[in-house]
Amino acid sequence: MNLVRIDGLHKHFGSNHVLKGIDLRIKQGEVVALIGRSGSGKSTLLRSINGLESFEDGLVEVDGERLHAGQTNLRELRQKVGMVFQQFNLFPHLSVGENVMLAPQVVKKTPRGECETIARSVLDKVGLSEKYDAYPDQLSGGQQQRVAIARALAMQPRVLLCDEITSALDPELVNEVLAVVKTLAAEGMTLIMVTHEMRFAREVGDRLVFMHEGRIHESGTPAELFAHPKTPELANFIGSIN
Amino acid sequence: MNDISTWDVARNLADGAMWTLGLSLCAFVLGGVSGLALLFARIAKRTWLRRLAQGYIEVFQGTPLLMQLFIIFFGSSLIGIELSPWLAAALGLTLFTSAYLGEIWRACVESVAKGQWEASASLALSHFEQMRYVILPQARRIAIAPTVGFSVQVVKGTAVTSIIGFVELTKTGSMLANATYKPFLVFGLVALGYFILCYPLSAFSRRLERNSRESRTH
Repeated sequence: MNLVRIDGLHKHFGSNHVLKGIDLRIKQGEVVALIGRSGSGKSTLLRSINGLESFEDGLVEVDGERLHAGQTNLRELRQKVGMVFQQFNLFPHLSVGENVMLAPQVVKKTPRGECETIARSVLDKVGLSEKYDAYPDQLSGGQQQRVAIARALAMQPRVLLCDEITSALDPELVNEVLAVVKTLAAEGMTLIMVTHEMRFAREVGDRLVFMHEGRIHESGTPAELFAHPKTPELANFIGSIN
Repeated sequence: MNDISTWDVARNLADGAMWTLGLSLCAFVLGGVSGLALLFARIAKRTWLRRLAQGYIEVFQGTPLLMQLFIIFFGSSLIGIELSPWLAAALGLTLFTSAYLGEIWRACVESVAKGQWEASASLALSHFEQMRYVILPQARRIAIAPTVGFSVQVVKGTAVTSIIGFVELTKTGSMLANATYKPFLVFGLVALGYFILCYPLSAFSRRLERNSRESRTH
């Protein structure tokens, strides 16, 4: 069953045509890594899935919630799509626990007690239950990113979008974040990630989607793609990162 | 005419200073409320609302307060509404204050990192919820010092209302100067009065600025 459906997506930034008709189906529980050079449109595609980027033509559908071009009512869709950012974007004026509880409380109107239970359980999942009362600036980058993952999970999303979530981290902190993502993948969470961690994408990804100049150039299992790139662009890209 | 003692002068000036204080408070509170409305309009999604707020701010920032008061005071009687100097002064200063506060606060809201909007949007918060729970609490910290600093401008701005006949500190001063023939003494005391009203505010604003530089982010 397709959880995410993207049909004929077109997006311009001014005169720059950044997405040139994207079609993509993602099944429940699938882990998809979007790869490609910077400027290939992979981040824009990811951000279109929860409406952070608008698009001019096409359709995005997540678990029955449809998003058309120019649509502005995104509340239902966004409750089903979690997102984690490169720069963490935790709320600095709120404690870790409050960061995680904010959306369930405000958007879903979940009672405070229940929110606390949810917050503790998602923080436990990312291994940070003891940081419940800490503030974001008291945490390392890796811990902040794990809180950001917990914050997204607290809304019980059907799919989690990860936008280069390890790119802003010091090298020694990358693994603790990747370990959390790996656990989520193993538990059957549907994940769509833009990443430069090719080794990780290969290891955890069910499918790699190679984007080039606003189009999906090639896609397939990591083994297929890395062993037998069909296009010179992909071969070139793989060559450049190894 | 010299039977007006220095004590009488001081007492009358203190009376005038109370009116200055009252007008300042009134302008600040009402201007603050409408400034907040302006802020929301200024960052609204609807273009016409943003333009309207921007036009309002440009008009009130781009013309002298004195002209605004003249237009309100004399203009209202032209269309058949008699405004007392007090009402005209309060209305004029409120409009003036709201334009500046709206703009100061907009700058504070825009200084909150864009990622905060994106993160709260992706958690399905509405525009209003984003403002209330995420953006304004952070903007507020940045806004306190310039807001208190601007309140000093409001207090000094009230002096202009003496020209439309509102009897506050400056007007009281000029009446006393005429009566006593001691303009240097009287206006010295008037200046002292403004200083007593404004100094605590600017000292407070400086302290807040220092604190916000030193304090942590929460």
